Amino acid sequence: MCITAGIDVGSGAVKCVVMKCPENGAPELMAAHSSRIRRREVANVVDEAWTAAVSAAGVDEVAYVATTGEGEDIPFATGHFYGMTTHARGALHLDPSARAVLDVGALHSRAVAMDEHGKVLGYKMTSQCASGSGQFLENIARYLGVSQSEVGSLSLAATDPENVSSICAVLAETDVINMVSRGINTPDILRGIHESMAGRFARLLRSLDVRGTVFVSGGLASDVGLMAALEDSLAKSARGGAVPTVATHDQAIHAGAIGAAIWGAFRYRKLGKGEAAWKSTMEV
Amino acid sequence: MGRESIIRAAREIYDDLDFQRVRDWLSQKPGTKAVGYLPVYAPRELIHACGLLPVGIHGGGDRVEIIKGDAFYQSYICHLPRSVVELGQSGRLDMLSGMLFPSTCDVIRNLSGMWKMLYPDQYVRYIDVPQIATPEIAIPFWEGELRHLLNDLAKLSGHHPSEDELRASLGLYNEVRAALRELYELRRTRPWDVPTEELYLLMRAGESIPPEDFLAMIQSYFRAIDDEPNRPRDNSRVIVVGSFCEQPPLGLIKTIERAGCYVVDDDFLIGNRFLTEDVELSGDPLSCLAESFVRDAVATSVIYEADPHGKRSEIKDKVDAAGADGVIFAAASFCDPALLDRPMLRTGAEAHDIPCIAFKFSENSGQFQQFREQAGTFSDSIKLWGGA
Repeated sequence: MCITAGIDVGSGAVKCVVMKCPENGAPELMAAHSSRIRRREVANVVDEAWTAAVSAAGVDEVAYVATTGEGEDIPFATGHFYGMTTHARGALHLDPSARAVLDVGALHSRAVAMDEHGKVLGYKMTSQCASGSGQFLENIARYLGVSQSEVGSLSLAATDPENVSSICAVLAETDVINMVSRGINTPDILRGIHESMAGRFARLLRSLDVRGTVFVSGGLASDVGLMAALEDSLAKSARGGAVPTVATHDQAIHAGAIGAAIWGAFRYRKLGKGEAAWKSTMEV
Repeated sequence: MGRESIIRAAREIYDDLDFQRVRDWLSQKPGTKAVGYLPVYAPRELIHACGLLPVGIHGGGDRVEIIKGDAFYQSYICHLPRSVVELGQSGRLDMLSGMLFPSTCDVIRNLSGMWKMLYPDQYVRYIDVPQIATPEIAIPFWEGELRHLLNDLAKLSGHHPSEDELRASLGLYNEVRAALRELYELRRTRPWDVPTEELYLLMRAGESIPPEDFLAMIQSYFRAIDDEPNRPRDNSRVIVVGSFCEQPPLGLIKTIERAGCYVVDDDFLIGNRFLTEDVELSGDPLSCLAESFVRDAVATSVIYEADPHGKRSEIKDKVDAAGADGVIFAAASFCDPALLDRPMLRTGAEAHDIPCIAFKFSENSGQFQQFREQAGTFSDSIKLWGGA
């Protein structure tokens, strides 16, 4: 058994987990912590998330600290894994039936197809435009004067969703301002936004020829309105074919960090305990 | 001197496209001259022996906007020559009294002709390095070329070096190459202690300062490594192949390392390490230098490979020697020598199941996200699904 940690540095938040990884059997999440960056020094936010997670886990030694996302420069890391590799593995841990991940982050969204071992088979990212990202939705919620936690349930209450540009965040934000001045109600606007984003995600997933379960990770996985819109979009885009199942998990925001920690345990064992030089500095 | 200050000093030289260090050297030694040389190989020993300062000329990277240089070359030619023309036309190379253009490729050869027309008062020479596998023919030919060059440089400097002076220069450059070999070996065994970004900056700085100063800089760096060791990380080990002439932007080298790859061998600035063994100092200096080039030149795309299977085995040999897990083929866009060799080298690597990726860059590339993705996923695939 070894204890590993995963640190996922995103553009909006730093997520840190500590995991117990037995030689045989499923890894177990011991602690997870997420800290929003909010214009602070990323190094300070990393320290905060790390200290909180390690202290919640109650461990005094970590065998492997794996970073992912923008975490390449974390000085106490043992190794770094690329984001799509860790999200794939984290999704598989949280839902073993997952064969694709849709990671909806603050600035980018990406779809990753994988096999039953978490090996990445292909991926697609939203391009430079931010209209498929959490930051975009956060901006819209702010314009509409609703909190992030209300967005999903309001969207589900929509009766006549409005069409919103799915091409560009700037155009979409202009659309929303026009809708507000035309007196369109908030649920219909939000559902329109969700449908616009879901349409982009469905196109990403379709381009990867995804079958089976699509696991949604990242901060927006808890947005029930977006999840419902994604299910609808995937059903529409299936055109009579098999419709992928959409799944998520309470810990979906930590999927990248979880995947990093699991791959860290894999590397720890692969390199051989006590052999590798990097291990000597692993004390917390 | 600590690691940070050594690298800061090297970086200042690397960043300075006005070559202030060269200008300072010239003003401190009135009557002396500096001679530039383009990649890949130039016999710097001869320049040094004549009392001249050898100065490596690369392009301006992403710090020079190409305006005049584009008028000299078609769009399907690499970035280096247009960038060198831009440096020349903007007056940044006006401290040089001569320029050497090694026979790296047709583009560099053509640049030598342009330079002659652009700067008729400068000494300009195209260096026709031997591309013959037979030592009995290649050595006398190259010795003759070296003698011709030496006589020209002696005329330029006003000082014809004695045999002892020539030997002293050969010995000094032997020491420089030995120090670099040691540095490369240290990086091979402890790549976390010798980041490639730092190694690269040292070598670039070394091309603008006297070899004596460069040697001292390397020795200081050795001491700094011992005093300030870095923390090892679980990275994959890769070799980078194809960047021997036009140099990648520093950001690209850094991106490869940050993505989780330790570079444990490369061909950046390969002219610094072109001769793999010490030049013999006991015989005729020019004959010894010629023989060393013909017998001990590093395997690279700008030197004729006589063995029909040589290109196929080259990467396997390099990977084995470096203890690497994979290969990154990184060549400049439109670099004929690198890109024509790449299919042969890659086929040879893949025949031995050596993981490879390939991309192209330009010395002024400014966006590294695609390289980050490629290098990051490559490193993951090696660590998680490969043999590392």
